[in-house]
Order: sequence, then C-alpha cells, then structure tokens
Amino acid sequence: MAFLINPEDQDLLQTVREFCEKEVKEQCKEFDVSGEWPADIYEQAAEMGLNALEVPEEYGGPGLERVTVAALMEEMAKADAGFVTTITASNLALKAVLIGGNEEQKQRCCDLLIEGKHGAFCLTEPMAGSDASNSKTTAVREGDEYVLNGRKCFITNGGVASFYVVTAMTDKSQGVKGMSAFVVDAGTPGLSTGNHENKMGIRTSNTCDVVFEDCRIPASARMGAEGEGYKIAMQTLDMSRTWVGCGAVGIAQRCIDEAVSYGKQRITFGKPILKNQALQFKIADMEIRTETARQMVAHALKLMDEGKPYSKESAIAKCYAGDVAVQNALEAIQILGGYGYSREYPVEKLLRDAKIFQIYEGTNEIQRMVIAKNVIGKF
Amino acid sequence: MEKQAMILVYLETADGQILKVSLEALNAAKKLAVQTGKGVAAVLIGDASAAASAGVYGADEVLTAAADGYQAETYTAILTELFARYETPCLLLGSSRDGKELAARVSARAGVGCVTDAMDLTAEGGWVRSVYGGSLQETVSIEGRGVVTVRSGTFGKPEETAGRTVPVTAADVETGALRAVIKEAVKELAESVNLEDAEVIVAGGRGMGSAENFKLVHELAELLGGVVGASRPAIEDGWIPRNHQVGQSGKIVAPKLYIACGISGAMQHVSGMTGSGYIVAINKDEDAPIFEVADVGIVGNVNDILPLMIDEIKARKA
Amino acid sequence: MELLVCVKQVPDDSVTVVLENNAPKLDGITPVVNAFDTYALEMAARFKEEHGGEVTVLTVGGEETVPSLRSCLAVGANHAARLDETAACDSLGMAHLLAKAAGKAGKFDVIFCGVESTDGAYGIVGAQLAETLGLPLVTNVLGLEPVEGGVSVKQETEEGYRIVETPCPCVVTTVKPGYEPRYPSIKSKMAARKMPIAGLTAADVGAEASAYGPDAAKVRQTALSAPPKRQSGVKIQEKEAAVAVSRAIKMLAGQKLV
Repeated sequence: MAFLINPEDQDLLQTVREFCEKEVKEQCKEFDVSGEWPADIYEQAAEMGLNALEVPEEYGGPGLERVTVAALMEEMAKADAGFVTTITASNLALKAVLIGGNEEQKQRCCDLLIEGKHGAFCLTEPMAGSDASNSKTTAVREGDEYVLNGRKCFITNGGVASFYVVTAMTDKSQGVKGMSAFVVDAGTPGLSTGNHENKMGIRTSNTCDVVFEDCRIPASARMGAEGEGYKIAMQTLDMSRTWVGCGAVGIAQRCIDEAVSYGKQRITFGKPILKNQALQFKIADMEIRTETARQMVAHALKLMDEGKPYSKESAIAKCYAGDVAVQNALEAIQILGGYGYSREYPVEKLLRDAKIFQIYEGTNEIQRMVIAKNVIGKF
Repeated sequence: MEKQAMILVYLETADGQILKVSLEALNAAKKLAVQTGKGVAAVLIGDASAAASAGVYGADEVLTAAADGYQAETYTAILTELFARYETPCLLLGSSRDGKELAARVSARAGVGCVTDAMDLTAEGGWVRSVYGGSLQETVSIEGRGVVTVRSGTFGKPEETAGRTVPVTAADVETGALRAVIKEAVKELAESVNLEDAEVIVAGGRGMGSAENFKLVHELAELLGGVVGASRPAIEDGWIPRNHQVGQSGKIVAPKLYIACGISGAMQHVSGMTGSGYIVAINKDEDAPIFEVADVGIVGNVNDILPLMIDEIKARKA
Repeated sequence: MELLVCVKQVPDDSVTVVLENNAPKLDGITPVVNAFDTYALEMAARFKEEHGGEVTVLTVGGEETVPSLRSCLAVGANHAARLDETAACDSLGMAHLLAKAAGKAGKFDVIFCGVESTDGAYGIVGAQLAETLGLPLVTNVLGLEPVEGGVSVKQETEEGYRIVETPCPCVVTTVKPGYEPRYPSIKSKMAARKMPIAGLTAADVGAEASAYGPDAAKVRQTALSAPPKRQSGVKIQEKEAAVAVSRAIKMLAGQKLV
C-alpha cells in the first residue's frame, strides 16, 4: 500500500523515485558522514521543482493535490530524511506566509521557492522551545521600521535560506498576544547565522542559530497585525505537523525495505532468516505501524482538503509516525544484527534520522498535550 | 576479366597495421568460405602496405582502392561498388565504430541485410550475437547477400602462413563529391590496449570510488603482468580511458585470470568476461551479481583488500 | 534549426532478461526510452536552447509507447509524433518507416538517433536512415555546433575524436556525451500530459509494404538462447580483510595463477 494518489500523478511519483534512487540515496550516505550540506543535490531538486511542490497554483505552483505531495515527500524521505527535512522546512516557512502574509509577501515567497531558493521558520529560541511563549526576541517599532534583536536556535535551513519567517515580541507585557511575525530577507544587515549544528541525524539538512542584532526591517515585513504572531505560528505548526509525519512514514518504510531485502538473503542455520516466523511477525508489525501512520497522514490531509478541523489529527499523524519511525529503525537494526549496528549498512542511520521526528516541530509530548486537550476539552 | 563471386573483408589499418578486429573478421570470412566454397578477397583502402600481410593471414586475393585519408563517404562508395562488382555474398568488417557505420551504409545502399557484432558462425550459416545487454543470445540468418561485422575478441586471429603470397588487384572506383567532411582527427588515447590477448586482466568499477583509488587496479595489473580493464561506470567517471572497457560496449575478453575490483556485475559487463578461465571478484556488497560468476569472491571493501593483496603477492614473488 | 529525434521504447536495460517459451520474458520490466536516445534528445534540447529552433520526437510503435513520448516532451521536446505500427521489422525495415515518417512529420535540419538500442543493439538504424533519406551522416556524435550552411560535429573514434563538417539536413547518431540527460521538472511533466502527439500510420506516410515488416525482413532471428552459465565458486566473508586476502591468494596459488 501507499498513498492513494490520482493515477495521473503516478508519473510524478515515478520521476521523483528515480531521481531519489539515482541522485540522493547513495550520495547522501557520504554527506551523512561529513555533515556537509549537499548543495548540488539540492540544486538538482530545485530544478525539478521539488522545493515548490506546495506552492499553490495561483502563485505559480504545480497545483498538486496534498496526497500527491505526500507521496512524493515519502519518496524523498525514504532516500534521505535530511533531504526531505530541508524541503519540508522551506514549506513550513511558506505555510506561515500563506497563513498570515499579505498578497505581496505570499507571491514573493512563492517566487523564491519556485526559483529553487529555501525558506526558514524561526520560532525556537534557547529558552523557548516547547514553551514558545517564553520568547526573548524583540521587535521594536521605530518609524517605518522594526528593529529586531534576539537569538533563534535549531533553525532548519538557517544558513541557506533566502527568506526567514521570524517571530518576535512587539509587546512583552502581553505574553503570547504580544508576539508578531515578520518575513525577513536573507542578507538584511544585522541578520547573521551561527555554526552549523553537528547533529546525530538528518545530517544533510542545515541547522543553525539565526541571530538578530539591531536588524532593521521595514514595517511592511510584518505579517498580519501586531500581536498575531503566535496565532500564525501555531496555525502553521498545526498544518505542518502532518508533513513531518509524512517524512517519518518514509523512514519507517525504508526500514521495512532494508529489513526485508537483508532478511531474504541472509542465511542462518541453512535458511534465510525471514523464513523464521518470529522475524516475519516483526516485519508484519513494522508494516502495521507504517501503514497506519501513513493513513493517518492521509486522513489529516483529507481534512485539510475539506476545510475541516485537523489540529488533533495532524498531531496524531506526527506523533504516531515519529514513534513508528524510531520503533521500525530499532527493529530493522535488530533484524540486521551486528550488521545493523555497523555503519557499513544503512539502518543505523535510519535510527539516527528517525529520532528527530519525535522531537522537532513540537516534541511528541507536546503533540500528546495537543491531542489530550482536543479530546478532553476545557473542564 | 571474368569475376568470381568473392566474400569481401574490409581490413581497417592503423599505421599500416591491420587492426586486430579486422583480422578476426578475416577469420570469420575464412570460416564462411569453408561453408560456402567461395573465395575471400581482402579490401584495403588508402594505405595498401598491409597487402602482403593480408595474404599471410589467409586472404585469397587482395583488392586495393585509392583514397586520400579516411572519409566515411568515400569508403562507403568504394565498398558498395566492390560489393556489387564482386557479387559478394557477404561483406565482413570488424565491429569498430567506423566498421559498423560502413556496414550499415553499404547494406542500405545495396538493399541487403546487415548483422553487427557477430560472435560466432553456426554450422547452418547463422550469426550469433548478444541481445538485451548480453542477457540473451540470438542466432540470425541473412536472406540473400549481406553485410556482417565481427565483434572483437570472438573469432580470434587467423593462422599465419609465412611467405604466402596472393594476387593484389588495384580496383578503380569512382567516388562522388563529399558532403560530410572529416576536417580533423585527434588522437587522445596514447596507448593501445590489448585486452583480447591478455592472460591476466585486473578490472575496476565504480566501487573503486575515485581516480586515486583506481591506481590500485593499475598496480595489481602491473604486478601480475596483466592489462587493466574497466566497467562502464569507471569510464564514465573518467578514471580510465574508454579503450579499457570490458563488456557490451567494450571488448569481449577471455584471460586465464580476471580480477574484478569493485564491479557490481551488471549483465552488460559480465557478458564480456564470462569466458575467463578463473574469476576473482572483490565487492563490499555480498549480493553483488558479480559473485554469481566468480570462482573466488571476496566480500569486503576493495580499497582495503587490494593493498593487502598487492603486498601478499609481492611477498610471494620476493 | 528544426531538430528531429528518433526514439525507441525498450525494456529497462538494468534488468536481466530471461527466456520463457523461447521468447524474451519482458512483462514486468519497465519500458523506458532507450538510453542512447535520451542522450540524443538531451543533445538536441541543448542545441535548441542555445541556437533556437524546436525539437520533435518520433517513435514507431503501438499505444504503449505514448508514455515514453510524454517523458520526452517533459525533457525538452516541443512536439511528438508516433507512427502506429507494430509489425516486426529488421533494421532496414525500421529505417524505411522512420524515413517515411520523418518526411511526413516535418522538415528537419538535423535528425538525431541514439547510436544503438540497448535491446537489439545492432547500432545501424540511424546510418541506414541517413542512406534511405540520401542525407549526409555523422555517427558516434559527442556534440555539435552550427556553422555556415550546416553543422560542425565532434565524432568519437577508437582513439580520440574527429571534427566533421556536414551540410544540413543531415543525420547524426549520438553516443554518451559528457553530461547526463536532465530530469523532468514536476511542472514540465504535468504540462507534457496535455501536449498533443501526432498520430501517423504506415499508409499516411506512404510506407511501402514491400519495404518493412516480417516478410520484407532480410535479417531473421532463427534461435534465441541464454548464454552459457558459469558456476560460482567460493565466497569469502571474513571480518579481517587480511584473512580474506590470504585465503584468496592460497586459492589462486593452488591454480598456479600467482
């Protein structure tokens, strides 16, 4: 099973799969070791329009159905989770603009992604991760400008983005209601980026601090009204969580693929190890989890398509798929045994890559809070 | 003069020497001659200095035609005319790039069938050749007269009879004005590579990882007195010139010892080397198809294995 | 310049073809555009992008070849034409059909063909097409540039390359140049779905029944077989590379090969 996509779009799936197989999968192994950002691969992906999959048709995008985009993202994640993280992160920034920005901001950010550029979503701070309301970054209005000061951390695409969606406090006394959101161009004086994080996994994605020191931006860079930043950010995360889940599904599927291909040919006691029912059941459980996670992603996307509330479902998709990716990676390593633990084989990387899916864009604890709040309601 | 129908073999030469693949075509022609009872005339165009040598290798007659350097159109016109003039049942050429082009052109002009890359001639007069990248072999027959090119490393060189002399006839052929004109020929590959006659071949593939690592293949080949071969990916990556290629678009080889280093074993490569006496394969992927044809397969990183192998062989030699 | 690229749909050449009932078992193998034809198309597309003009792709085959033409439309071809003919042909028969179809499909300055197909691999249709059309030919082409009245072509040879100048119209057959064919973009792929494909028949183009098809074929397959199989020997898997090497060397020494 896979995402049930429109038969017409099968050719896109084929194209992306071929690209990922030939240009991403093997190549990224090397970059996983070096931690270098594979600019050439991203350039090729951009030329194919993979950065702009989610750009709406009215802004020059391909106008694909969400489930088709999900199927393509899963392919990218199967090849390399860092690769899909880069692309998902650009689209996370784009989503914020599509949710909170004006027409001009939307068109500009869409154009940048269509041109093959990247975006970054800057919410997290050293003291404001899960607790985004504890943000210390400030935006002070001075005439027709805002002056930004503060430090954002763990920003995907921080060092490679062409535009940054930045949240900052315009009125600290108001708490989250005093947070506003801005679109900041790369290269604006006062905007700098820190060192590339040396991460456990998704090492082909760029993650770094983004620092604002008296960074002056025009007032027109603000999205929505003052004080709407937190709402925009939360709505953005609500939607993007499903896409993170989609990436996790890709890893979970890759774990199955690797375990099955190894298990069929690895002989112990005179027969392939997958002839053992104990291991067959492991594969079955991996498949149950993956398929369930995938269909949860599809369900959340369907709710978005239909304009229905999806906050809970999106959180479930992200939380469950993230957990599944980690569980499947652990099982895949177990099936490969000693080889699974070796860096010569692909599955240890899958575990390192999978782990972040329980952490970023809202830890799985935060997701459970969201889900619980949706189920229990106020009482 | 009464002309007898003759099998023709076009002998391609370089610096007055007949190319090995053309000698194989001559050998195929002699085989066909035995089946059909026809004579074999060798054709030399331009440089006729190899005429005597053609006789030594067993042509019954040598036809020479004048030409001022290689021009495909001129050579096509000459071969087409001789093919008609000698009522040739079959024109054979070596499967070089030029040989295949000439074969195709002559066959189209004469309206006869054309078979390329023949590897064998069956007792029934069928030509055996590879299809689907070497996955399968077909036998084809040509209805009526035809043109055949012979794949290098398949028919072998003909026997030499020292001192054998045969008539040499200068054929006068009118050729028209040129349209596609060869303006310049550049020689890039300095060394000639004789994979076909090598007793030992050490071949490298993509698994070598880099041009730098590929030097290990050279080192081992030199140590064993062998020739360096390569699979297509190594050539496409520019680690070694294309005249070292073994397989479908390269040479068919049959050394006593073939060592495949970091070659996965795509059918296109394997089909060119399965005739080897003893095959050693080194690959880190234990599922690599190359192991299916190897007498000894070593699962491991080729860049770890090769230096050790080189050291051990050196130690044995010492 | 107007450019024509002749393409053939073939089974994916990375898959080993096996024999079933004396015929190649091709079901289950993805049909793809012949690799050498994709190089031809890329070369034509680059030529067009640099020097202007349009690229048409032409194939001979049934309805099942439409996806291949669409994939060509997504990577640089402007137009596509399909001669709807599935009769088995030898190379000369195919050259006849292509010559007739090319004449019907338009007026072209350069006709590109891949140097060979990865399935039958005769490597002669392009040259026979040139002869059938009476056009000048350059084979094994690595690249080309326009010159007064024609093109200057870089031809790969056994030991290097040649520079060949030819008037247009002409035929070129392409080898792998120093670049890879492009990937389609999502948008070009979607746009290709809606582009028209000109449908031609053998009758439309004036193909002569005596010149193509199984009865006209002068080269006929009489047998098909799997090449002789080799037995695999020992596979050495050792944690220590040195142990593996000494085992292998002992075996080679046993065969008196070292």
